[in-house]
Amino acid sequence: MRYGIFVAALLVAPAVGVAQPPAGASEALEKVCGACHSVETVTGQRRTRAEWQESINAMVARGAEGTDAEFALILDYLTTQYGPTAAPAAPAAGRGGRGPAFSPGPADKQVVDEAAANRGRKVYAAECITCHGTHARGSERGADLVRSEIVLHDRYGSTLGPFLKKGHPTQTTPAAQLTGAQIVDLSHTIHQEVYNTLRAALQIQNVVTGDPQAGAAYFNGAGKCSTCHSAAGDMAHIASRMDAPELQQRFLFPGGRGGGRGRGGAATAAKPVMVTVTPASSAAIAGSAITGTLVHIDDFNVALRDGAGEYHSFKRTPALKVVKSDPAQAHHELLDQYTDRNIHDIVAYLETMK
Amino acid sequence: MKTLGTFLIASAALMAQGGLNPARLGAPPTDTWPTYNGDYSGRRYSTLSKINQSNINSLTLAWVYRANGAPGGGGGFGGRISATPVEVNGVLYFTMPDHAWAVDARTGREVWHYAWTSHGGDHIGNRGAGVYGNWLYFETPDCNLVSLNLKDGKERWHKPICDLDQYYFGSMAPLVVKNHIITGVSGDDLDRPGYIESHDPETGDLQWRWYTVPQKMGDAGSESWPSEEAMKHGGGMTWLTPTYDPELNMIYVPTGNPQPVIAGKARPGANLFTASVVALNPDTGKMQWYFQSSPHDTHDWDATQTPVLFDGEINGQKRKLVAQASRNGYFFVLDRATGKNLASAEYVKINWSKGVDAKGSPIPNPAKEPQLDGALVSPNQGGGTNWPPPTYDPDTGLFYVSASRAFSVYYIYDPSDKPEGWGGNDRGGWGETMIQAIDYKTGKVKWSHKWEDGGRSGLLSTAGKLLFAGDGSGNLVALDPANGNPLWHANLGSSVTNGPITYELDGTQYLVVAAGDTLFGFAMLR
Ligand code: HEC
Ligand code: HEC
Repeated sequence: MRYGIFVAALLVAPAVGVAQPPAGASEALEKVCGACHSVETVTGQRRTRAEWQESINAMVARGAEGTDAEFALILDYLTTQYGPTAAPAAPAAGRGGRGPAFSPGPADKQVVDEAAANRGRKVYAAECITCHGTHARGSERGADLVRSEIVLHDRYGSTLGPFLKKGHPTQTTPAAQLTGAQIVDLSHTIHQEVYNTLRAALQIQNVVTGDPQAGAAYFNGAGKCSTCHSAAGDMAHIASRMDAPELQQRFLFPGGRGGGRGRGGAATAAKPVMVTVTPASSAAIAGSAITGTLVHIDDFNVALRDGAGEYHSFKRTPALKVVKSDPAQAHHELLDQYTDRNIHDIVAYLETMK
Repeated sequence: MKTLGTFLIASAALMAQGGLNPARLGAPPTDTWPTYNGDYSGRRYSTLSKINQSNINSLTLAWVYRANGAPGGGGGFGGRISATPVEVNGVLYFTMPDHAWAVDARTGREVWHYAWTSHGGDHIGNRGAGVYGNWLYFETPDCNLVSLNLKDGKERWHKPICDLDQYYFGSMAPLVVKNHIITGVSGDDLDRPGYIESHDPETGDLQWRWYTVPQKMGDAGSESWPSEEAMKHGGGMTWLTPTYDPELNMIYVPTGNPQPVIAGKARPGANLFTASVVALNPDTGKMQWYFQSSPHDTHDWDATQTPVLFDGEINGQKRKLVAQASRNGYFFVLDRATGKNLASAEYVKINWSKGVDAKGSPIPNPAKEPQLDGALVSPNQGGGTNWPPPTYDPDTGLFYVSASRAFSVYYIYDPSDKPEGWGGNDRGGWGETMIQAIDYKTGKVKWSHKWEDGGRSGLLSTAGKLLFAGDGSGNLVALDPANGNPLWHANLGSSVTNGPITYELDGTQYLVVAAGDTLFGFAMLR
């Protein structure tokens, strides 16, 4: 991620015909995300698909609950409606004057103009960098500007300008001679550095650090992976289907269920959890077990869809036998067994399967 | 309640009809639920027993109030009531970000609705209101403390409690102690110091501010930071309402995680007083003692879980206790007069600690700090538990908490020498959730009730031998506090989003709970 999350919104002219949201998507967003925070928290922002995926992953880790299908819908929805090229969100009608952006920070936060920030970067390099550092995070010679209240209160040079003009040291041009335009540009550059420290602006670096040979040994030995998978079979070319961070997530958390939370990376259709329900022998549909895809289960009810697509729902009683079978169960149990070394070795090994 | 004596007389004028008699804040709630936790102890235990194990199946829905319909509603698309309502003189008061409502506690009919015009801030949630005399107090996401008239919701004044430009925001339910309105601050995007403040109830003026991190080298706790620059930007937000012991005159403040959140490289040390339980004098803001739940946290495991106060016996000795089920997966019991640790135990299986030190604080395993290529950690960022309030039931002697056993991978995204903000994050995960019933004497889990489908709600226990919780399927569930067996449920169509409360009015016991943007009132109407 090169630019702050707020950069893109201004740069790109609002798309003329805004893509229609996928059917059911806003409902999914409401259900999955609305459970923890207002949806305006989410939709006050502009992000790329990769950034939205990252946000969704973060929310899953925090306990967001939804099916893979719902998460896929949400990703599509956010990307089309709240991607960098989407039209700015109109303030919702009748919402007590609330502005569009309910992301952290003030509603009137500076929107970084990327071209200006690039110009400002040159001024910064010429006048400030030796004291304030490459990313404006300070050095022994100058303060951390990302953490500066003068910067955080600044809008387009409003506090930065007067501060510098008082005679702040610079590298070549005396501060008093910096033009108004240069100050505005500098302001964009420094605000961009602030935004670059926000969660959404960062990415995973490199996860391929293990030993592929040790990974192969674990795959075929202690990990018992080869009892269910094979390098030449279902794992063939797996590394060309996804990038390395994704691969790491996929093998650690395939399907990603259990308590309805958690899933690794982008959705590929997970194998469903199956359930077999055996009614009490005295019941009307006595004795015969029904097996199907688990639709819903809680302490009181269980529902499934059988092989013919019929939906069945049961009240749970002590006499009703319910047996769940989660294809990813072995993977859940592995979480207690892996060392981080094992994990990095497996990633390195799977990476060889291009 | 001796400590409240003079105050009671002084504020008698405030107790006109509709107002709150401050003596009620110290007593176990029956016809009122006057503060975030019901009373000062944070136990969320009610002595009411008209609704009990033998008649729970007659509990019926009495009313529904949907906050969605309000003009300018904080409901609407995606609203969520995470506030615990307060109930005073038959009226419920609750909040969502930028909004406050008064609703008839018997009928669910709206009495008034107040909407604040926002200037931004994170709208992730609002935990509720505080009440003093005839006045209500709540925090807004854009850093204001707002005081409203209880009777009509008209604004009396608002005062800034933080700086929005520094990405602070307000979400905590203010705590009313004597003539102090205690407010906390939220926000973990930029590296700012956390603090807690006390305000004058009449004017809103600042009485004191206590920073959760030392402000200069040489101050208490500064030995646990590498530099003044690091600690002044060291985080420690005060997201959650403290609890209060009137006899000891101490408030128990749970503090947030240090900053930068994930990349902790530039802040070696324990980073006091972040991720701690701290006892303060409510009149002066002076620290009495501290206990650190997560030294040098790098997993976003704040310790902003309710410090629950109760008296008990440990090793044959009667003690005044404070207990916390902390986000990092540990349950702690401390002597609340001194802060001395009496028990530390994992209430869910975890993989990041090397045990506890002499003071009872966990020793983080450096290998399980976030790594460039990832470290598999349990619990995940959501934690062993989170903000939803736990409950302590004096009848069973058990501490109940909505718990989660989850794994995720923690990454460093910013390998530079001076990471800021987060500098990393966790991703993915698998987990399961359950209610854990913890024996406070040992920290051992006595029983565990696993949810089939997730679920993490606030809890309530009552003398009716009932434990109320929400599962992940939208059920409000009453469990047997002795063994966790589900006894009753009602599906609300959306998962419980706050802590349930109960009160009795005109001989009828009510149970009120929020799910999404809707408040549900159950009652024993027969
Ligand atoms: C010769 C070294 C030097 C140069 C060059 C320099 N600064 Fe500074 N700057 C400092 C020092 C030292 C401080 C801290 C003391 C102070 O506030 O003056 C500081 C403080 C600041 C602050 C206030 C930080 C706070 O305390 O909130 C800002 C803003 C700032 N500089 C911006 C700039 C900009 C923009 C430039 C380039 C146009 C620049 N500085 C060039 C040394 C320098
Ligand atoms: C008991 C059988 C079993 C064992 C043992 C097992 N797996 Fe799996 N694995 C599965 C199943 C079933 C899935 C698909 C789960 C789903 O989609 O819900 C899966 C999924 C995966 C995936 C994701 C594939 C994709 O296309 O998304 C990877 C990668 C993987 N496993 C690697 C491993 C590795 C490495 C090990 C050993 C450490 C291992 N598995 C052990 C059964 C197993």
